[in-house]
Amino acid sequence: MAKKNSKTISVSLATATCSLLGTSVTTPVQAQEEPGWDFNTALLYYGESDDRVQDVSLNILGRRTYVDDRFLTLGLVLDSLTGATPGGALPFSSPQTFTSPSGLAVYTTPADVFPLDDTFLDTRFALSASWQQPLSRLFTMNAGLTASKEYDYLHLGANFKLARDFNKRNTTVSLGLAFANDELDPEGGAPVPLSAMLDVGDLSNKTGDQSKDIVDVVLGVTNVASRNLLFQLNYSFSNASGYLNDPFKFLSVVDGTSGDPIARIPAPGAVGPLYEYRFENRPDERTKHSVFGQTKYYMDGKVLDLSYRYMTDDWEIDSHTIDARYRWPVGDSSYLEPHLRYYTQNAAEFYRISLVNGAPPVSFASSDYRLGDFDAITVGMKYGWKTRSGNEMSARLEYYMQDGDAPSDQIIGNQASRELYPGLDAIIAQFSYRFGK
Amino acid sequence: MRVKHQAAMALLIATVISGCSSMGVEPWERDVLAKEEMQLVTDPVEAGIDDHIYFSKEASSGGRGFGGGGCGCN
Amino acid sequence: MAPHSTSRQGGATYLCTVFLLGLLAAVGSNSADLPLDLTEYRGKVVVVDFWASWCVPCRRSFPWLNQMQEKYGEQGLIIVGVNMDATAAEAQSFLSDFPADFRIVSDPKGDLARKFDVIAMPSSYVIDRNGEIAAKHLGFKVKKQQEYEQIIKETLLSRED
Repeated sequence: MAKKNSKTISVSLATATCSLLGTSVTTPVQAQEEPGWDFNTALLYYGESDDRVQDVSLNILGRRTYVDDRFLTLGLVLDSLTGATPGGALPFSSPQTFTSPSGLAVYTTPADVFPLDDTFLDTRFALSASWQQPLSRLFTMNAGLTASKEYDYLHLGANFKLARDFNKRNTTVSLGLAFANDELDPEGGAPVPLSAMLDVGDLSNKTGDQSKDIVDVVLGVTNVASRNLLFQLNYSFSNASGYLNDPFKFLSVVDGTSGDPIARIPAPGAVGPLYEYRFENRPDERTKHSVFGQTKYYMDGKVLDLSYRYMTDDWEIDSHTIDARYRWPVGDSSYLEPHLRYYTQNAAEFYRISLVNGAPPVSFASSDYRLGDFDAITVGMKYGWKTRSGNEMSARLEYYMQDGDAPSDQIIGNQASRELYPGLDAIIAQFSYRFGK
Repeated sequence: MRVKHQAAMALLIATVISGCSSMGVEPWERDVLAKEEMQLVTDPVEAGIDDHIYFSKEASSGGRGFGGGGCGCN
Repeated sequence: MAPHSTSRQGGATYLCTVFLLGLLAAVGSNSADLPLDLTEYRGKVVVVDFWASWCVPCRRSFPWLNQMQEKYGEQGLIIVGVNMDATAAEAQSFLSDFPADFRIVSDPKGDLARKFDVIAMPSSYVIDRNGEIAAKHLGFKVKKQQEYEQIIKETLLSRED
């Protein structure tokens, strides 16, 4: 049983922990300043429809407050992942057979559906630690470490942030830096980029383990506009270099006229793919720039949280994210918070739905739907309440949907009548419990 | 082209800082800003979970900063 | 006696304090429209502490202020807590958890805070027996409690001119 798709999650993980540069472990100073521990725990279920990815995770953040505005924060995430994910091949009117990532078995997918690889399950374990303290009356620093481990993946990271207040603390300027090194050691080895998917037992196209380095910088300004209005504006820079491929993703090789996959015959006595597939290849460097703005507005007990992010990178992906939350107090000790998020991105320059047989070779190609052209919407509701002992609980339920299109200039022949973009439909359910002091 | 983006961003932030000197509240007027629901990140665990989900399923990540707002005490 | 402050920033603080003396003179003379008339405490050492219910460091400062009031009250120390909450209910809620053994006045409009040019919460001003500001501290740090107490002791020792 291959643990291949752990990479899908672990890549995301690793950089998610990097993106933690901006969130999570930095403490809003007045929330709990009595010396002692407080805890923020959450149980999450994430489930995609059609037997795709299902994830259950336990998240714990423990914060120890020391006198004079110093904090130690420790975090733990335990994650269990199962389910299927698109491997990258296009649907066809016959079943398709693929060699599993380990190279030791095959799996077959039915005709006329997006081929999914369901041969994985994985567990992730992630830790974080950070220390925050004032350096002087107006300067605050925060230093942290992150690490996470999956079967075939190891992430290690360090981050440092500095913030300085101005203008009677109405304005805060902050600078954050994060470094990470991720190592991937997929079962069977990472495949040679753009090499063919081979028969079971043939590991000649596999290389060994791979790694990448990531640097993140965030520069931000937070400003108090009035007694009820706060806003933040940030610029982020991120650079990843090294092995940026997904070793488990591949593309269909198709005929230039019909758009149908090219048949292949396994070696005598061997089992293997019945059509041609090539493993993907992405550039070995990626630079992203983002601009993020957020505002929080208090209106007579209700709070509106509105944010916008624009991202652009040198893979020619541009994205826009708009996020809105409205917290509505219910009675004395509970609240309702509807949530709406809209996301749109355009495809990476090397995003291809398939490779054309006999065409001039490309340097980079990937059919990973996460690099494609799509819109996504999240609609959710959260309900929170204070327990009799003064602790907080909350439950949220959200629906996340992605819908995309294959670039029209890439559709060949019979492909026009087939599904070309897998899309996504998922439920997010979370229960939280915060306690301490 | 990137240098132009960065210079524009730096200029924007500098403008915001200088413009901001005319905005703001007195240190004793931060009662609303001190509320938990008025922090930029109200629930760090939830924010981390969302960051992880969206990073796994989309090509963008992060962007948020930190610090500022709140009671401004000490 | 030369004015000094906990921050000990020398010249800048000296100038700042001289400015504050001017303000204090104004405070003393316009006492009719302010919640606190410091002229009634001439001859005593007064600690004016600006606080609010939402200010978490204030929770640590109150037990210490109570201690100071008890320890030095006989020597002529008067502590006045100036509450900045918009409503009395909020202040009461804080006081029921952290009671004050010293005088509390309300300054919901911030007139007194403006006169003192408060730039941080909490802020404490030590006023000597002549009605001059001897020291101020911005914020409340547990580690600096000894230092704050030392300043009160020294101010108590100085005589009225």
